Amino acid sequence: MVVRSSSMPLEYLTCEQDSYQQANAGCDGLPLRGRGTSPRPFRPLFDLPLPGWAALSTPRLVAGDSIVDFELPDHNGNRRRLSELVGGDPAILQFYRGFWCPKDQAHFRGLVQLQDQVEVAYTRMISLSVDAPEVEAAFRAGIGARWTFLSDASREIQVQLGLLETTDTVHRPYIPTVLTLFPNLKIHTAYNGYWFWGRPTNAELTADLRAITRAIRADWDAPAR
Amino acid sequence: MPIGTRPRVDGAAGVSRPWQWFAFRPERPNDAFATAPAFRADGAQLGFLAAWLVGAGRKPIGALGIDARAINPGGKPAWISLVLAPERSRVLFDDPAVCQAMRIVLSGSPNDVMSTLVRDSSTIGGAFTATHAPTPDALADDPFARIFPRTLLRVDGGFVGIMPAPAGPGVQRYAGAPWPWDQF
Repeated sequence: MVVRSSSMPLEYLTCEQDSYQQANAGCDGLPLRGRGTSPRPFRPLFDLPLPGWAALSTPRLVAGDSIVDFELPDHNGNRRRLSELVGGDPAILQFYRGFWCPKDQAHFRGLVQLQDQVEVAYTRMISLSVDAPEVEAAFRAGIGARWTFLSDASREIQVQLGLLETTDTVHRPYIPTVLTLFPNLKIHTAYNGYWFWGRPTNAELTADLRAITRAIRADWDAPAR
Repeated sequence: MPIGTRPRVDGAAGVSRPWQWFAFRPERPNDAFATAPAFRADGAQLGFLAAWLVGAGRKPIGALGIDARAINPGGKPAWISLVLAPERSRVLFDDPAVCQAMRIVLSGSPNDVMSTLVRDSSTIGGAFTATHAPTPDALADDPFARIFPRTLLRVDGGFVGIMPAPAGPGVQRYAGAPWPWDQF
């Protein structure tokens, strides 16, 4: 199992944070400083002003832990409990910034492709953001997703999970995070998608789901008779 | 009711068996655990909907499997889009047309009840979609009506339950149970 979330030292996160601001200024509601023709110069890690970033909310979700069984409205406004959405199957739980984020849009295009395999594989997918249910419903329909989206517009669960992206003070979105889960909500792998390349590829998700399925299906090896 | 405040509907934990037997009969059966006269939109009575408990005796002749949560003897009045495969028609659940109808259900707004009807381990017998709303507007586009004939029915209380929306994106049945039941 690979843990990509909590094992990252703060200094590393801080470096990402700084570069992230430069690379994404504007699209995430961040100040436009460092954008365009006058980017901020690169600074080595040890020169960064750590105290200013110390409050950064780092993911607390690690492999082997269990995620809390929260209840939120889905994209249609119906209250849904995570454990019921996961049921008895392996699951992908994705926290995303919002419909407006180009990285999320790119990531979703891959997940929608994966959906064609997930739909026949006794596996669940759940996406979660701070967007309102009606916004999620429109986004879900637009990208062609057929899984359940959950709305944490009150940010109650975001706080509980420590997944507030503190650097975007406009949207205050979730830190992009993907978890692969066992049916009992135990985390198989946690992917920190703050940087786009931290997000799992469909091949990585497939490998995780294979491992989980193998672990939970007593008949993984086809019965001899 | 404001969006986001609609209460959670119990999922699989709410019932002890995934399915019951269901049939649309011209006469009221006397051995069913739930029955209700079914009317057309213009008020003409067409027959009776009936449900039997699985395991409580032999399977009633011609009955189809339905998600147990779809039936509630204490349920409220409802409109039903009842799609039934012709008796001699044998269409597999794995047929691409059936799978596509399931995808359309998952893509759209959920109704209070939606269950495919199971004829046998691999054959679809139709679909049962219902709303407790005062009008049948939500049932205007039933994707299963593109495969088999459908009838729009109105029933009084005492038959139609309520189900959670399918979680998606799965379109496979669990051990032969009616889709979208989602537990082995």
